Amino acid sequence: MTENHGQSSCQEVLNAMIFFIDDEIHDQDQLTTFEFHIQQCQPCLQEMEHERKVIAQMKKLLSNACHEEAPEELQARISAQTALLAAQMSAPTQIITEYRQSQTTVYSDEFGGIRIEETRIEIQSTNEFGGDFPLA
Amino acid sequence: MTVTLWPMASEIEVKTPARLLATESAMDRANRFTKDAMQYTNQLYSAALRYTKNAHDAQDLVQDTYAKAFTSFHQFEPGTNLKAWLYRILTTTFINTYRKDQRRPQISDGELEDWQIAESASHTSDQGKSAEDEVLENMPDGDVKNALGEIPEEFRLAVYYADVEGYSYKEIADILGIPSGTVMSRLHRGRKLLRELLVAYAKDRGYAKEFDENGKKSSQAGDES
Repeated sequence: MTENHGQSSCQEVLNAMIFFIDDEIHDQDQLTTFEFHIQQCQPCLQEMEHERKVIAQMKKLLSNACHEEAPEELQARISAQTALLAAQMSAPTQIITEYRQSQTTVYSDEFGGIRIEETRIEIQSTNEFGGDFPLA
Repeated sequence: MTVTLWPMASEIEVKTPARLLATESAMDRANRFTKDAMQYTNQLYSAALRYTKNAHDAQDLVQDTYAKAFTSFHQFEPGTNLKAWLYRILTTTFINTYRKDQRRPQISDGELEDWQIAESASHTSDQGKSAEDEVLENMPDGDVKNALGEIPEEFRLAVYYADVEGYSYKEIADILGIPSGTVMSRLHRGRKLLRELLVAYAKDRGYAKEFDENGKKSSQAGDES
């Protein structure tokens, strides 16, 4: 149980075992050390094989139990929703009209007097289209 | 009386919106989305059931996920994993919609304590090994589903993405929005709980009567009723 095979103890190997089984030991040296140990150590090898088998079995059980078919009604709802969202997006969202206009009014009376009134309205015209999406 | 209007109509400035270099019409996007994303409805529904634990909410969750995915489809980078991207949206949608006002106690997210690792890592007896194998071989789907439903949500999702979907710790971390170390501890604790529950079910149903509390074969085989 506490024997050393190479540079690692059984305890270290047992603690790292799940990472080995999950293929999550990314350090090559650690992986080599682990593999060297289990080649030399029968109890650790058996433990690893058992754990691997149980995890594979659990995966099989879970996959069989959790495989669900989405109801057809749900598929239809999603398709309708996608079409609706696309239609909303492709309709021109709004048209903002802006233009610039200045107005000067000149009043004159019969005595030759002049009165000037100036009004400025600034508007610019912009069409906005809502239907296109940027491509990532 | 004279009225002068200026500038002339020809001087009115008409601005056209700055067009983006590459665009996609809404209909083209809908077609691309349908072709690429709709193939995963079964998987998303299966995953959604692990979040909501009931069919009605799971359907709503999947539908909301597809709505969000469609409206942000331009953010998806073609060539990367679309299914994982959809699972990420499923997770955020679930958190935002179904958990918003739910004050639920969170499982402490601490990494595995040293003593927990030490406790779980020891050589198992040969009887313990074969006993566990037998239990798992005869386990009905319904029991597996129930057991998965019984373990805390955080653990359940880590186990689901690792053991049903086959994702790596890093990929699960991205989907659940948590660090890889947290994925690791949730996954390991989740698997351990699940195994203990399945052994307990087997014992309750009498097809594993020779097991003791720890799922190991009792030293006095056959005395348990």
